[in-house]
Amino acid sequence: MPNRLELSGITKQFPGVLANDHVSFAVKPGEIHALLGENGAGKSTLVKMIYGIMQPDGGEIRWNGEPVVVPNPKAARRLGIGMVFQHFSLFEALTVLENIALGMDAKIPSRELEARIREVMQTYGLLLDPHRTVATLSVGERQRIEIVRALLLNPKLLIMDEPTSVLTPQEVDQLFTVLRQLASEGCSILYISHKLHEIKALCDTATILRGGKLVDTCDPKAETSRSMAEKMIGTGLKDIIKPEGRRFGEPKLVVNGLTTRKTGDFDVPVADVSFTVRSGEILGIAGVAGNGQNALLDALSGELKGEEREAISIDGRAIGLMDTTERRRHGLCAVPEERNGHAAVGDFSLSDNSVLTARDRLGMVVLGLINSGAAKTYTGKVIADFAVKALGPAATAGSLSGGNLQKYIMGREILQKPTVLVVSQPTWGVDAGAAAAIHQALVDLATAGSAIVVISQDLDELRALSDTLAVINMGRLSASRPIGDFSVEEIGLLMGGVHGEEAA
Amino acid sequence: MMQFRLEKRREPSRFMLYATPVAAVALTMIIGAVIFSVIGYDGIGAVREIFLTPLTNSFKWQDLGVKAAPLIIIGVGLSIAYRANVWNIGAEGQYIMGGLAATWVALASHGAGGWWTLPAMMLAGMAGGAAYGAIPALLKTRLNVNEILTSLMLTYASVQLIYYLVRAPWKDPMGMGFPQTRRFASEALLPNIFPGTIVHAGVPIAIIVALIAWFIMSRSVFGYQMRVVGAAPHAARYGGFSENKTIWLAMLVSGGLAGLAGMLEVAGPFQRMVPGFPTNYGFTAIIVAFLGRLNPLGVIFAGIVMAITFVGGEVAQTTIGLSNSATGVFQAMMLFFLLAGDILVRYRLKRVVPQVEAGA
Repeated sequence: MPNRLELSGITKQFPGVLANDHVSFAVKPGEIHALLGENGAGKSTLVKMIYGIMQPDGGEIRWNGEPVVVPNPKAARRLGIGMVFQHFSLFEALTVLENIALGMDAKIPSRELEARIREVMQTYGLLLDPHRTVATLSVGERQRIEIVRALLLNPKLLIMDEPTSVLTPQEVDQLFTVLRQLASEGCSILYISHKLHEIKALCDTATILRGGKLVDTCDPKAETSRSMAEKMIGTGLKDIIKPEGRRFGEPKLVVNGLTTRKTGDFDVPVADVSFTVRSGEILGIAGVAGNGQNALLDALSGELKGEEREAISIDGRAIGLMDTTERRRHGLCAVPEERNGHAAVGDFSLSDNSVLTARDRLGMVVLGLINSGAAKTYTGKVIADFAVKALGPAATAGSLSGGNLQKYIMGREILQKPTVLVVSQPTWGVDAGAAAAIHQALVDLATAGSAIVVISQDLDELRALSDTLAVINMGRLSASRPIGDFSVEEIGLLMGGVHGEEAA
Repeated sequence: MMQFRLEKRREPSRFMLYATPVAAVALTMIIGAVIFSVIGYDGIGAVREIFLTPLTNSFKWQDLGVKAAPLIIIGVGLSIAYRANVWNIGAEGQYIMGGLAATWVALASHGAGGWWTLPAMMLAGMAGGAAYGAIPALLKTRLNVNEILTSLMLTYASVQLIYYLVRAPWKDPMGMGFPQTRRFASEALLPNIFPGTIVHAGVPIAIIVALIAWFIMSRSVFGYQMRVVGAAPHAARYGGFSENKTIWLAMLVSGGLAGLAGMLEVAGPFQRMVPGFPTNYGFTAIIVAFLGRLNPLGVIFAGIVMAITFVGGEVAQTTIGLSNSATGVFQAMMLFFLLAGDILVRYRLKRVVPQVEAGA
């Protein structure tokens, strides 16, 4: 039997960077094949060429043994290639059925389409009411829409891009069941992920890319997570070093009955949130995306106007009514989840991006004028201390890869030595090497006496990093407890348990 | 069928960013020559008269300065507002209100003026323009009304206000019924810089305004605020910059500068308020701001280029009988080629590989 998909010598050149350098590997029918690599290793570019979004500059794609050219995604779907993207393309105000109908190449009467959707859902246990509005669905449920959409076309190869980054452990298990069933029916799966233990649990083969080149194709079950990570980043991996016997000091950040207003139609506010973080402590806040994390971060950073002075205090000083700039002066720094356009301005140089949040704490402004020398010096220090791969302080933020930009942003805040640091998704989409560096920097900051809040959907991250943990669900925060008191199952239930329909 | 697709470039080339305006001007000259030849004029002659005569004929240089000054001052203000994504399209109205406010000071102090008259007129002009710019700012920040619409519509209201004022309360009693104010007293008129020419104090003021604006935009927190709100509003909020405050600042600054230009015009070339005071400088300055890359230094050059087309258009009227509208055609072409060029700087045109039926 010929290989389902075979790539030989695929090469893609972008201005200034060779994204794929003679990459060759094959996917057999019914095989679950992992594509591993750091950010910027060329995984996305490679699958975009398979799915017809981009064209290779060189090399050959063979489909069931035949050489093919895939001019566009429509042609890819016609061949039998389906793809589920990391970022969903769904209209929140429309129903599941309407969203699927919009994405179909051929016009199918809606009743017939609904019957086919129900059939696919039945076969794979992807339960979902086709008439529900997308806005009311959890991220896991939204992903199911994308999977159903892909499965309606009876794909012979399904590409999944970072599918589990937003799911609860229970949802991950459900997804794996579906993928295994698909594979047993002969559908090949190309699975892109950073999560090595998932790849070990799910995949038959793993292809590892580094810097656009293929490093190895191996059997993940025969490897350890560590050995694969080291192949991915090319060097030995560092463990987080947490000093033994750390003790927590005075309460630094006290949140008491924090409530926000609903700002948009599909926005989840937080209600009556209370917690305390002490000097030296890292508090993890777990939760599935869209449960009020954004509102919580904005309310803490000051982007969302506060209404009660006493709701937030730092070092005993009530700051609930202060704006972002004043809060920073009082020692509260925050890093939102979205890097581009929120935590950093893509079109600005790194130096100018340092002015964005560090101008007051580090005296970069004198009489209304910006001291660009000071901004440049500070940016240089961030780049050096956090090993940011950038051409220098004058490089634009947009020219950095996701992981490097995140290292820069975290460095920019951490080197300001904030009393309290609140970060959301500090290692979202960041490769293992950069993630380890960021984690270590957070631990070091806490060891030096700051209080840290880490909001994340990545349980592995929270378990490695946090001293105490709380779970956010539908805008409410559970009581915080030492991390050792939780089992994964319990966290998972707290994260997803309130969604009644989730269990169906 | 051949298909093309726009693909975003990783980083637009710096060189191209500044080469585009030059290319736009060059293309305008070439295509303009072709078009006017095709419709039966001396196309090459038209381009020569419009673009080159004002430069080669030293007699015309003073006209260039006088035309460019208001365009540069208004264009600088607009470039600041546009950086912050505040689309003030009503600079013409703010220019008019500035002119009217300055006229009020000149008429009220007629016969009792002194060294302070011109500075007072300047302040009044800026205040008048800023106040008129404040209306769209208020509507935008309070009721989220689109500033493009309000600022544009307010322009027409201000034109009517001139008509009313020069026909009734401000009409020159000695003017034999002409709808215009009396000529300003000499303290209320801009001095000439070079005796024997028409170059008034507004010309150096325009250059100074542009230089100050350049310094503020590149070095100050105010300039940073304008740039960051325009580039990434979400990041601006995270950095502690209020969007509403930025809208106010942008409208007040661009309105105030347009008002200053109005004052300089009424106290300079016009010497009195007349119904013909609105000369579309406020609208042409939009092209100037973009041609100058929203950079105050670029605006100086863009203002001069636009002034060339105005002066050259007049030359072409008399020498080859080209209609005055031809100037508008050339100016519009310039904006068109500039915007099209900008797209190509940021995106590349990519030919989509012809559809090979994937062998299924």
